[in-house]
Amino acid sequence: MIHSPESGESFTSTLVKASASHRAQNDDNRHRNAPSIEVADVTKVYNVGHAAYPALRNVSLKIERGEFVSIIGPSGSGKSTLLNIIGALDRPTSGRVKINGIDLKRLSDDQLARIRNRRIGFIYQSFNLISRLTVLQNVQMPLMPRKMSQREREDRSKQMLETVGLGRKLRKHPTELSGGEQQRVAIARALVTKPEIVIGDEPTGNLDTKTTHQVMDYMAKVNRSGITVVIVTHNPEVAQYTPRIISVRDGAIEKDQVVPKLDSF
Amino acid sequence: MLARKTRSALTIVGIIIGASIILAVESSSAGMSSGISAEVSKIGANVLTIRAGGAMFSSGSTSTYKLSSQDVPTLEAMSHVERVVPYYSDPVTVTVGGESISGTLIGIDPSALSYIYNGLSLAEGSFPTASDYTSAVVGDSIAHPTSSTVDLGLNQAVQMKISGVTSTNLAFLVKGILSPYGQALFNNIDQDVFISLQAAELYFKTPDYSGIYVIVDSANNIGTVQTAIKAAYGSDVSVMSSGSIASSISSITGSLSIYEEGIAAVSLFVAAIMTANTMFVTVMERTKEIGVLKAIGFRSREVLTMFLAECVLTGLVGGAGGTMLGYILAFVIGGGNSFGPPGGGSSGGSTPVFTTGWILFTLFFPVVISIGAGLYPAWRASRMNPISALKYE
Repeated sequence: MIHSPESGESFTSTLVKASASHRAQNDDNRHRNAPSIEVADVTKVYNVGHAAYPALRNVSLKIERGEFVSIIGPSGSGKSTLLNIIGALDRPTSGRVKINGIDLKRLSDDQLARIRNRRIGFIYQSFNLISRLTVLQNVQMPLMPRKMSQREREDRSKQMLETVGLGRKLRKHPTELSGGEQQRVAIARALVTKPEIVIGDEPTGNLDTKTTHQVMDYMAKVNRSGITVVIVTHNPEVAQYTPRIISVRDGAIEKDQVVPKLDSF
Repeated sequence: MLARKTRSALTIVGIIIGASIILAVESSSAGMSSGISAEVSKIGANVLTIRAGGAMFSSGSTSTYKLSSQDVPTLEAMSHVERVVPYYSDPVTVTVGGESISGTLIGIDPSALSYIYNGLSLAEGSFPTASDYTSAVVGDSIAHPTSSTVDLGLNQAVQMKISGVTSTNLAFLVKGILSPYGQALFNNIDQDVFISLQAAELYFKTPDYSGIYVIVDSANNIGTVQTAIKAAYGSDVSVMSSGSIASSISSITGSLSIYEEGIAAVSLFVAAIMTANTMFVTVMERTKEIGVLKAIGFRSREVLTMFLAECVLTGLVGGAGGTMLGYILAFVIGGGNSFGPPGGGSSGGSTPVFTTGWILFTLFFPVVISIGAGLYPAWRASRMNPISALKYE
């Protein structure tokens, strides 16, 4: 079940093998052909005092399994709101959201938590690591609610950290790492549960240009292993990494286009 | 980060102090109660002590009545009275090998001693006869004083001085030495010198007895005899049985211990408040962390469990520390809690008694308090909306 990288094996093939075995054991076979993410006519309204503020207005989109998508837009456009709803962190005021064919509307908060834990990995602009824990402990956190032995958790986490090149920094605390390293820890944490979807909310927002490219290269690799990757960004350079760019403005989708992929940047 | 560690440490210290005070107070008062029972049981349950004047523990008695030989037949005539034993008693300073020891000179019919003090026995020698004016029986600490290298043996002279209006120097021949005995309520037998009643009458130069022991035929009849004496003498004398002495002392030490228990309860309460405060602040500080945990799929219940587990740990550490500190503290308090009558008589210290019950309480009650204090903040944490939690700075 746990696939340990053999020497010389690339990052990509590790993930391909790992996620393939995971999917083989996935008892949701009936949803195998369903789109990764399906948003149908979703509206999100925030009530601020007496006023109602519509963050999203009748948004619909479909993201197939294995796609690499960025959502761009100015601040206040609703892109983060959309991401939170896609990520099962928030519920729409109206409309339907399906993850791998599973309708989120019928699920309780606890069940949504389960979906997040098993199928979705999150990466944030400010990394959101727990500073009082070590790097290894941070990566283990998503595995804590599971019935796994401590040994298994540690092994999986170590393997993940090695994959992102931080195998030597297991016992360090996040504050001892650079921004790029911290984001890589966050990526390892997001991947440790072998999710089908990885969602990034401005993942390179706090990083310099060089590190931004590093992290986006990782995201591309993650996507190549078969994981659906959705990134929210305001940086057009970052959006260049993804073949599909969805533009959001004022709570609605303005443009949704697939750009032919270039082989190198 | 450092601030948080300091805050956790202080909370635990608060719990340790509260818990330790409880254990210390309970154990030292338990020690005192058993100490009292031990000393009380040394005086026979069927012995009444009569002293002239009002109540034993009041500073001044209103009556000027004095006990003397004419009271003996009065008392002997009462039903259920088996024997009447008058005595003289005065503090003295005994000199042994150049060292001074404070003790008490008691003049009493030597043959009655074993009826009054359970288990009293001679290590060496014999009691003086009733008409012997020159011999004495000394207690173990007089014969073998810890402060002096010289011991007293049989047929040696024991010298002492009665301090008072005029000092009187006395010397007696040691005829007997008592085995170690200890305290028997206000009277440390080991520091006593016993002479015959007639000898005391002579040397104390007064016909007034210091007190009279009345030996009753059975402990069941103590009440009856006590009532009869009260009826005959009114407030001219005070009558005590070992039971009533014990209950007087118990009520004094009881109120002392209620006071101490009050302090313990308050300090534990304060510790609980501190824990609640720490938990609230901790939850606030970890708002973002809670958001992250929920985002990665922790359910509300799991967040709650996590925080409660930390409470349990805090409580256990506090309880363990409190038990250890309380153990030490009990001895300190025990030393301070000695009891004795005002105006003379020796006092007894006590060793604390640790019951399994109180040890377990001290160990685990802080856990209960921690959970109680942390329950609401932990519940608040579990109910946080992850999105707003993540935005929290």
